[in-house]
Amino acid sequence: MPKILMVEDMPDNAELARKILVSAGYEVIHAPDAETGLEMALAHCPDLILLDLGLPDYDGQTLAGWLRAEPTLSATLIIAFTAWPEETVKRMTESYGCDGYISKPILKVNDFLVQIASFLKNA
Amino acid sequence: MLKMTSFITAGTDAIQLVPASSFSIEQLTNIYNQTRVDYLVPMPMNAARLAEYVNVYNVDMQHSLVAMQNGEMLGVAMLGVRKERAWVTRLGVIPNTRRAGVGKALMNGLITQADNLGLDFIMLEVIKNNDPAHQLFLKLGFYEVGELLVLRRPPVSLTPNPVVADAQRLDRADALVLVGHDRGTQPWTNQSETLINAQDISGLWLTLADGTRGWLVYQRQKFTLTRFAFKTEKGDPVALAQAFLSHLHYQYPRLDTQLENIQVNDPHLPAFYEMGYIESFRRIEMWRGTPPASLVRNP
Repeated sequence: MPKILMVEDMPDNAELARKILVSAGYEVIHAPDAETGLEMALAHCPDLILLDLGLPDYDGQTLAGWLRAEPTLSATLIIAFTAWPEETVKRMTESYGCDGYISKPILKVNDFLVQIASFLKNA
Repeated sequence: MLKMTSFITAGTDAIQLVPASSFSIEQLTNIYNQTRVDYLVPMPMNAARLAEYVNVYNVDMQHSLVAMQNGEMLGVAMLGVRKERAWVTRLGVIPNTRRAGVGKALMNGLITQADNLGLDFIMLEVIKNNDPAHQLFLKLGFYEVGELLVLRRPPVSLTPNPVVADAQRLDRADALVLVGHDRGTQPWTNQSETLINAQDISGLWLTLADGTRGWLVYQRQKFTLTRFAFKTEKGDPVALAQAFLSHLHYQYPRLDTQLENIQVNDPHLPAFYEMGYIESFRRIEMWRGTPPASLVRNP
Protein backbone atom coordinates (compact mmCIF):
# COMPACT_ATOMS: atom_id res chain seq x y z
CA MET A 1 0.00 0.00 0.00
CA PRO A 2 1.15 3.58 -0.59
CA LYS A 3 3.13 5.38 2.08
CA ILE A 4 1.73 8.66 3.40
CA LEU A 5 3.71 11.29 5.32
CA MET A 6 1.41 13.44 7.42
CA VAL A 7 2.87 16.79 8.51
CA GLU A 8 0.51 18.03 11.20
CA ASP A 9 1.24 19.80 14.50
CA MET A 10 -2.07 19.19 16.28
CA PRO A 11 -1.85 15.78 18.00
CA ASP A 12 -5.61 15.16 17.93
CA ASN A 13 -5.88 15.95 14.21
CA ALA A 14 -2.84 13.82 13.46
CA GLU A 15 -4.10 10.85 15.46
CA LEU A 16 -7.56 10.93 13.87
CA ALA A 17 -6.20 11.08 10.34
CA ARG A 18 -3.59 8.42 11.11
CA LYS A 19 -6.20 6.00 12.47
CA ILE A 20 -8.42 6.46 9.44
CA LEU A 21 -5.59 6.01 6.98
CA VAL A 22 -4.10 3.00 8.78
CA SER A 23 -7.53 1.38 8.95
CA ALA A 24 -7.69 1.65 5.16
CA GLY A 25 -4.33 -0.07 4.85
CA TYR A 26 -2.02 2.85 4.21
CA GLU A 27 1.41 3.06 5.78
CA VAL A 28 1.48 6.34 7.70
CA ILE A 29 4.42 8.27 9.10
CA HIS A 30 4.02 11.54 10.99
CA ALA A 31 6.03 14.74 11.41
CA PRO A 32 4.89 17.46 13.83
CA ASP A 33 6.72 20.38 12.17
CA ALA A 34 8.19 21.52 8.88
CA GLU A 35 11.86 20.74 9.50
CA THR A 36 11.03 17.20 10.64
CA GLY A 37 8.69 16.91 7.67
CA LEU A 38 11.47 17.73 5.22
CA GLU A 39 13.85 15.26 6.91
CA MET A 40 11.26 12.47 6.86
CA ALA A 41 10.26 13.18 3.27
CA LEU A 42 13.88 12.87 2.15
CA ALA A 43 14.48 9.77 4.25
CA HIS A 44 11.28 7.86 3.38
CA CYS A 45 10.28 9.15 -0.10
CA PRO A 46 6.52 8.84 0.57
CA ASP A 47 3.94 8.51 -2.20
CA LEU A 48 1.82 11.31 -0.76
CA ILE A 49 2.47 14.11 1.73
CA LEU A 50 -0.57 15.35 3.62
CA LEU A 51 0.50 18.83 4.59
CA ASP A 52 -1.02 21.09 7.25
CA LEU A 53 -0.48 24.72 6.20
CA GLY A 54 -0.19 26.05 9.77
CA LEU A 55 2.97 24.62 11.33
CA PRO A 56 4.87 25.93 14.35
CA ASP A 57 8.35 26.39 12.89
CA TYR A 58 7.88 27.21 9.18
CA ASP A 59 4.47 27.19 7.60
CA GLY A 60 3.17 24.62 5.17
CA GLN A 61 3.66 26.81 2.10
CA THR A 62 7.33 27.22 2.88
CA LEU A 63 7.68 23.46 3.37
CA ALA A 64 5.89 22.81 0.06
CA GLY A 65 8.42 25.09 -1.62
CA TRP A 66 11.35 23.14 -0.11
CA LEU A 67 9.81 19.83 -1.10
CA ARG A 68 9.21 20.93 -4.66
CA ALA A 69 12.83 22.04 -4.95
CA GLU A 70 14.07 18.51 -4.07
CA PRO A 71 14.67 16.44 -7.23
CA THR A 72 14.11 13.15 -5.37
CA LEU A 73 10.61 14.26 -4.40
CA SER A 74 9.51 15.55 -7.79
CA ALA A 75 6.97 12.75 -8.23
CA THR A 76 5.62 12.90 -4.68
CA LEU A 77 2.07 14.13 -4.33
CA ILE A 78 1.74 17.10 -1.97
CA ILE A 79 -1.80 17.59 -0.70
CA ALA A 80 -2.57 20.53 1.58
CA PHE A 81 -4.70 19.62 4.59
CA THR A 82 -6.24 22.82 5.87
CA ALA A 83 -9.24 24.70 7.21
CA TRP A 84 -8.41 27.81 5.20
CA PRO A 85 -11.16 29.35 3.06
CA GLU A 86 -11.41 27.59 -0.31
CA GLU A 87 -10.42 30.57 -2.44
CA THR A 88 -7.27 31.20 -0.38
CA VAL A 89 -6.20 27.59 -0.23
CA LYS A 90 -6.66 27.16 -3.99
CA ARG A 91 -4.45 30.17 -4.67
CA MET A 92 -1.82 29.09 -2.15
CA THR A 93 -1.63 25.44 -3.15
CA GLU A 94 -1.38 26.19 -6.86
CA SER A 95 1.29 28.82 -6.29
CA TYR A 96 3.39 26.62 -4.04
CA GLY A 97 3.28 23.56 -6.26
CA CYS A 98 0.84 21.42 -4.31
CA ASP A 99 -1.21 18.85 -6.21
CA GLY A 100 -4.45 19.63 -4.43
CA TYR A 101 -6.04 20.10 -1.03
CA ILE A 102 -8.35 18.40 1.43
CA SER A 103 -10.42 20.52 3.80
CA LYS A 104 -10.27 20.08 7.56
CA PRO A 105 -11.89 18.97 9.77
CA ILE A 106 -12.61 15.46 8.56
CA LEU A 107 -16.41 15.33 8.59
CA LYS A 108 -16.97 12.03 6.76
CA VAL A 109 -14.36 9.29 6.98
CA ASN A 110 -15.37 7.77 3.67
CA ASP A 111 -15.13 11.11 1.81
CA PHE A 112 -11.65 11.63 3.21
CA LEU A 113 -10.52 8.20 2.06
CA VAL A 114 -12.08 8.66 -1.37
CA GLN A 115 -10.17 11.93 -1.78
CA ILE A 116 -6.86 10.32 -0.78
CA ALA A 117 -7.44 7.36 -3.09
CA SER A 118 -8.39 9.65 -5.95
CA PHE A 119 -5.21 11.71 -5.65
CA LEU A 120 -3.09 8.56 -5.60
CA LYS A 121 -4.95 6.99 -8.52
CA ASN A 122 -4.57 10.07 -10.71
CA ALA A 123 -0.91 10.56 -9.91
CA MET B 1 2.52 46.83 36.88
CA LEU B 2 -0.70 44.89 37.25
CA LYS B 3 0.09 42.12 39.74
CA MET B 4 -3.14 40.17 39.53
CA THR B 5 -6.60 41.53 38.87
CA SER B 6 -9.93 39.79 39.11
CA PHE B 7 -12.83 40.55 36.82
CA ILE B 8 -16.21 39.13 37.80
CA THR B 9 -18.36 38.29 34.82
CA ALA B 10 -21.98 37.22 34.85
CA GLY B 11 -22.47 33.53 35.43
CA THR B 12 -18.80 32.74 35.87
CA ASP B 13 -16.20 32.58 38.58
CA ALA B 14 -13.66 35.36 38.77
CA ILE B 15 -11.27 35.66 35.84
CA GLN B 16 -7.80 36.46 37.09
CA LEU B 17 -5.27 38.33 34.97
CA VAL B 18 -1.70 37.29 35.65
CA PRO B 19 1.43 38.90 34.16
CA ALA B 20 2.79 36.75 31.33
CA SER B 21 6.23 37.03 32.91
CA SER B 22 4.98 34.57 35.56
CA PHE B 23 5.00 31.80 32.93
CA SER B 24 7.69 30.08 30.89
CA ILE B 25 7.92 30.68 27.15
CA GLU B 26 6.85 27.04 26.66
CA GLN B 27 3.70 27.58 28.75
CA LEU B 28 2.87 30.74 26.83
CA THR B 29 3.47 29.01 23.50
CA ASN B 30 1.14 26.23 24.54
CA ILE B 31 -1.70 28.52 25.63
CA TYR B 32 -1.27 30.69 22.53
CA ASN B 33 -1.47 27.67 20.23
CA GLN B 34 -4.55 26.38 22.06
CA THR B 35 -6.33 29.69 21.45
CA ARG B 36 -5.69 29.45 17.70
CA VAL B 37 -6.69 25.91 16.86
CA ASP B 38 -9.90 26.98 15.13
CA TYR B 39 -8.69 30.30 13.71
CA LEU B 40 -9.26 31.29 10.12
CA VAL B 41 -5.48 31.48 9.85
CA PRO B 42 -4.10 29.37 12.74
CA MET B 43 -0.46 30.56 12.72
CA PRO B 44 0.85 28.22 15.43
CA MET B 45 4.30 28.90 16.89
CA ASN B 46 6.97 26.94 18.66
CA ALA B 47 8.78 28.37 21.70
CA ALA B 48 11.74 29.60 19.63
CA ARG B 49 9.47 31.51 17.27
CA LEU B 50 7.49 33.06 20.10
CA ALA B 51 10.72 34.10 21.85
CA GLU B 52 11.91 35.76 18.64
CA TYR B 53 8.51 37.43 18.24
CA VAL B 54 8.72 38.82 21.79
CA ASN B 55 12.18 40.22 21.12
CA VAL B 56 11.63 41.64 17.63
CA TYR B 57 8.33 43.30 18.44
CA ASN B 58 9.29 44.63 21.90
CA VAL B 59 6.64 42.60 23.70
CA ASP B 60 6.69 43.54 27.39
CA MET B 61 6.04 40.30 29.25
CA GLN B 62 5.53 42.02 32.59
CA HIS B 63 2.65 44.00 31.10
CA SER B 64 1.26 41.17 28.97
CA LEU B 65 -1.45 39.04 30.53
CA VAL B 66 -2.71 35.51 30.91
CA ALA B 67 -6.35 34.97 31.91
CA MET B 68 -6.82 32.28 34.57
CA GLN B 69 -9.86 30.72 36.18
CA ASN B 70 -9.73 28.10 38.90
CA GLY B 71 -6.07 27.51 38.08
CA GLU B 72 -6.71 26.93 34.35
CA MET B 73 -5.27 29.14 31.62
CA LEU B 74 -8.11 30.53 29.49
CA GLY B 75 -6.39 32.98 27.20
CA VAL B 76 -3.50 35.31 26.58
CA ALA B 77 -2.91 38.85 25.34
CA MET B 78 0.43 40.52 24.80
CA LEU B 79 1.45 44.17 24.92
CA GLY B 80 4.22 45.63 22.78
CA VAL B 81 5.76 48.78 24.20
CA ARG B 82 7.76 51.39 22.26
CA LYS B 83 8.29 55.11 22.65
CA GLU B 84 4.91 56.82 23.08
CA ARG B 85 2.92 53.83 21.84
CA ALA B 86 1.68 50.37 22.73
CA TRP B 87 0.52 47.43 20.62
CA VAL B 88 -1.93 44.64 21.34
CA THR B 89 -0.96 41.28 19.89
CA ARG B 90 -1.44 37.49 20.24
CA LEU B 91 -4.86 38.00 21.86
CA GLY B 92 -6.68 34.71 22.04
CA VAL B 93 -9.10 32.71 24.14
CA ILE B 94 -9.38 28.92 24.21
CA PRO B 95 -12.40 27.94 22.07
CA ASN B 96 -14.51 26.23 24.74
CA THR B 97 -14.18 29.19 27.13
CA ARG B 98 -15.23 31.92 24.70
CA ARG B 99 -18.31 34.15 25.07
CA ALA B 100 -17.73 34.45 28.82
CA GLY B 101 -15.98 37.81 28.89
CA VAL B 102 -12.40 36.52 28.85
CA GLY B 103 -11.34 38.46 25.75
CA LYS B 104 -12.91 41.64 27.06
CA ALA B 105 -11.21 41.19 30.44
CA LEU B 106 -7.85 40.67 28.75
CA MET B 107 -8.32 43.74 26.56
CA ASN B 108 -9.41 45.93 29.47
CA GLY B 109 -6.40 44.63 31.38
CA LEU B 110 -4.01 45.58 28.57
CA ILE B 111 -5.54 49.05 28.22
CA THR B 112 -4.99 49.53 31.96
CA GLN B 113 -1.42 48.27 31.63
CA ALA B 114 -0.75 50.74 28.81
CA ASP B 115 -2.30 53.51 30.87
CA ASN B 116 -0.05 52.61 33.80
CA LEU B 117 2.90 53.05 31.48
CA GLY B 118 1.61 56.49 30.45
CA LEU B 119 0.69 55.27 26.97
CA ASP B 120 -2.69 56.36 25.63
CA PHE B 121 -2.01 55.49 22.00
CA ILE B 122 -2.53 51.79 21.26
CA MET B 123 -2.29 50.02 17.91
CA LEU B 124 -3.47 46.57 16.83
CA GLU B 125 -4.40 44.54 13.78
CA VAL B 126 -7.31 42.16 13.46
CA ILE B 127 -7.73 39.56 10.72
CA LYS B 128 -10.42 40.70 8.30
CA ASN B 129 -13.67 38.80 8.89
CA ASN B 130 -12.81 37.98 12.50
CA ASP B 131 -16.01 39.77 13.45
CA PRO B 132 -16.17 38.96 17.20
CA ALA B 133 -12.72 40.44 17.81
CA HIS B 134 -13.37 43.38 15.48
CA GLN B 135 -16.61 44.23 17.30
CA LEU B 136 -14.92 43.94 20.69
CA PHE B 137 -12.19 46.38 19.65
CA LEU B 138 -14.76 48.88 18.32
CA LYS B 139 -16.64 48.73 21.64
CA LEU B 140 -13.41 49.40 23.52
CA GLY B 141 -12.77 52.61 21.61
CA PHE B 142 -10.51 51.41 18.79
CA TYR B 143 -11.17 52.85 15.35
CA GLU B 144 -10.25 51.61 11.88
CA VAL B 145 -7.26 53.15 10.21
CA GLY B 146 -6.86 51.07 7.08
CA GLU B 147 -6.47 47.67 5.54
CA LEU B 148 -3.26 45.65 5.47
CA LEU B 149 -2.12 42.86 3.16
CA VAL B 150 -0.22 39.73 4.05
CA LEU B 151 1.65 38.73 0.90
CA ARG B 152 3.57 35.64 -0.18
CA ARG B 153 5.83 34.88 -3.08
CA PRO B 154 6.68 31.22 -3.61
CA PRO B 155 10.21 30.28 -4.61
CA VAL B 156 8.83 28.36 -7.60
CA SER B 157 7.96 31.64 -9.32
CA LEU B 158 9.96 32.45 -12.42
CA THR B 159 13.18 34.22 -11.54
CA PRO B 160 13.08 37.69 -13.07
CA ASN B 161 15.96 39.28 -14.93
CA PRO B 162 17.26 42.23 -12.93
CA VAL B 163 16.00 45.60 -14.16
CA VAL B 164 18.91 47.68 -15.39
CA ALA B 165 19.86 50.05 -12.60
CA ASP B 166 22.79 51.29 -10.62
CA ALA B 167 22.50 48.92 -7.66
CA GLN B 168 24.41 49.27 -4.42
CA ARG B 169 24.27 46.62 -1.72
CA LEU B 170 23.81 47.94 1.81
CA ASP B 171 25.18 46.22 4.88
CA ARG B 172 23.22 46.14 8.12
CA ALA B 173 24.57 49.42 9.46
CA ASP B 174 23.88 51.36 6.27
CA ALA B 175 20.46 49.72 5.87
CA LEU B 176 19.42 50.65 9.40
CA VAL B 177 20.50 54.24 8.89
CA LEU B 178 17.92 54.43 6.09
CA VAL B 179 15.23 52.64 8.09
CA GLY B 180 15.88 54.89 11.06
CA HIS B 181 14.03 57.68 9.34
CA ASP B 182 10.57 58.20 7.90
CA ARG B 183 8.77 55.09 9.12
CA GLY B 184 6.00 57.29 10.51
CA THR B 185 2.77 55.51 11.31
CA GLN B 186 3.62 52.25 9.63
CA PRO B 187 2.01 49.21 11.28
CA TRP B 188 3.91 48.03 14.37
CA THR B 189 5.44 45.05 12.61
CA ASN B 190 7.06 47.29 9.99
CA GLN B 191 8.35 50.09 12.19
CA SER B 192 12.02 50.96 12.55
CA GLU B 193 12.41 49.19 15.89
CA THR B 194 11.37 45.87 14.34
CA LEU B 195 14.20 45.95 11.82
CA ILE B 196 16.68 47.22 14.40
CA ASN B 197 15.78 44.24 16.63
CA ALA B 198 15.88 41.67 13.80
CA GLN B 199 18.92 39.66 12.70
CA ASP B 200 20.38 39.39 9.19
CA ILE B 201 19.22 42.76 7.89
CA SER B 202 20.66 44.17 4.68
CA GLY B 203 19.47 46.28 1.80
CA LEU B 204 19.70 47.64 -1.72
CA TRP B 205 20.00 51.20 -2.95
CA LEU B 206 18.97 51.62 -6.57
CA THR B 207 19.12 54.43 -9.09
CA LEU B 208 17.31 53.92 -12.40
CA ALA B 209 18.18 55.43 -15.78
CA ASP B 210 15.32 57.97 -15.54
CA GLY B 211 16.57 59.23 -12.19
CA THR B 212 14.12 57.24 -10.06
CA ARG B 213 15.90 56.24 -6.89
CA GLY B 214 15.20 54.65 -3.55
CA TRP B 215 15.90 51.70 -1.28
CA LEU B 216 14.79 48.34 0.04
CA VAL B 217 15.78 46.94 3.42
CA TYR B 218 14.96 43.30 4.21
CA GLN B 219 15.68 40.38 6.48
CA ARG B 220 17.12 37.22 4.96
CA GLN B 221 16.39 34.16 7.07
CA LYS B 222 17.46 30.58 6.42
CA PHE B 223 14.52 29.81 4.15
CA THR B 224 12.71 33.09 3.73
CA LEU B 225 12.97 36.76 2.81
CA THR B 226 10.83 38.91 5.07
CA ARG B 227 10.37 42.22 6.91
CA PHE B 228 10.69 44.58 3.95
CA ALA B 229 10.97 48.34 4.37
CA PHE B 230 11.23 50.42 1.23
CA LYS B 231 11.00 53.97 0.04
CA THR B 232 11.08 55.84 -3.25
CA GLU B 233 13.22 58.90 -2.64
CA LYS B 234 12.52 60.29 -6.11
CA GLY B 235 10.54 59.20 -9.16
CA ASP B 236 8.19 56.32 -9.92
CA PRO B 237 7.50 53.95 -6.98
CA VAL B 238 6.30 51.10 -9.22
CA ALA B 239 9.43 51.27 -11.38
CA LEU B 240 11.60 51.36 -8.29
CA ALA B 241 9.82 48.37 -6.72
CA GLN B 242 10.10 46.40 -9.99
CA ALA B 243 13.81 47.09 -9.89
CA PHE B 244 14.48 46.16 -6.26
CA LEU B 245 12.28 43.06 -6.39
CA SER B 246 13.89 41.85 -9.61
CA HIS B 247 17.37 42.26 -8.11
CA LEU B 248 16.37 40.60 -4.84
CA HIS B 249 14.66 37.55 -6.34
CA TYR B 250 17.38 37.13 -8.94
CA GLN B 251 19.85 36.96 -6.07
CA TYR B 252 17.76 34.59 -3.93
CA PRO B 253 15.67 32.46 -6.33
CA ARG B 254 15.12 29.60 -3.85
CA LEU B 255 13.85 31.62 -0.90
CA ASP B 256 10.21 31.89 0.02
CA THR B 257 9.00 35.46 0.70
CA GLN B 258 6.58 36.47 3.43
CA LEU B 259 5.47 40.07 3.92
CA GLU B 260 3.26 41.25 6.75
CA ASN B 261 0.97 44.24 6.85
CA ILE B 262 1.62 46.10 3.63
CA GLN B 263 -0.83 49.00 3.44
CA VAL B 264 -3.38 48.49 0.64
CA ASN B 265 -2.76 51.99 -0.68
CA ASP B 266 1.01 51.55 -0.87
CA PRO B 267 2.03 52.99 -4.26
CA HIS B 268 4.65 50.25 -4.78
CA LEU B 269 2.10 47.41 -4.70
CA PRO B 270 1.49 46.88 -8.46
CA ALA B 271 5.13 45.85 -8.83
CA PHE B 272 4.73 43.16 -6.16
CA TYR B 273 1.85 41.55 -8.02
CA GLU B 274 3.81 41.71 -11.29
CA MET B 275 6.66 39.88 -9.54
CA GLY B 276 4.49 36.94 -8.51
CA TYR B 277 3.33 38.00 -5.05
CA ILE B 278 -0.06 36.69 -3.99
CA GLU B 279 -2.41 37.84 -1.28
CA SER B 280 -2.61 35.45 1.65
CA PHE B 281 -5.15 37.32 3.76
CA ARG B 282 -6.02 40.82 4.99
CA ARG B 283 -5.99 42.54 8.32
CA ILE B 284 -7.69 45.69 9.53
CA GLU B 285 -5.45 48.12 11.39
CA MET B 286 -7.06 49.83 14.38
CA TRP B 287 -5.90 52.55 16.76
CA ARG B 288 -7.07 53.81 20.12
CA GLY B 289 -6.21 57.37 21.07
CA THR B 290 -4.40 60.02 19.08
CA PRO B 291 -1.08 59.14 17.47
CA PRO B 292 1.78 61.10 19.03
CA ALA B 293 3.26 63.94 17.00
CA SER B 294 6.56 62.06 16.72
CA LEU B 295 4.84 59.41 14.62
CA VAL B 296 2.66 61.64 12.48
CA ARG B 297 5.52 64.00 11.64
CA ASN B 298 7.03 61.47 9.21
CA PRO B 299 4.10 59.75 7.50
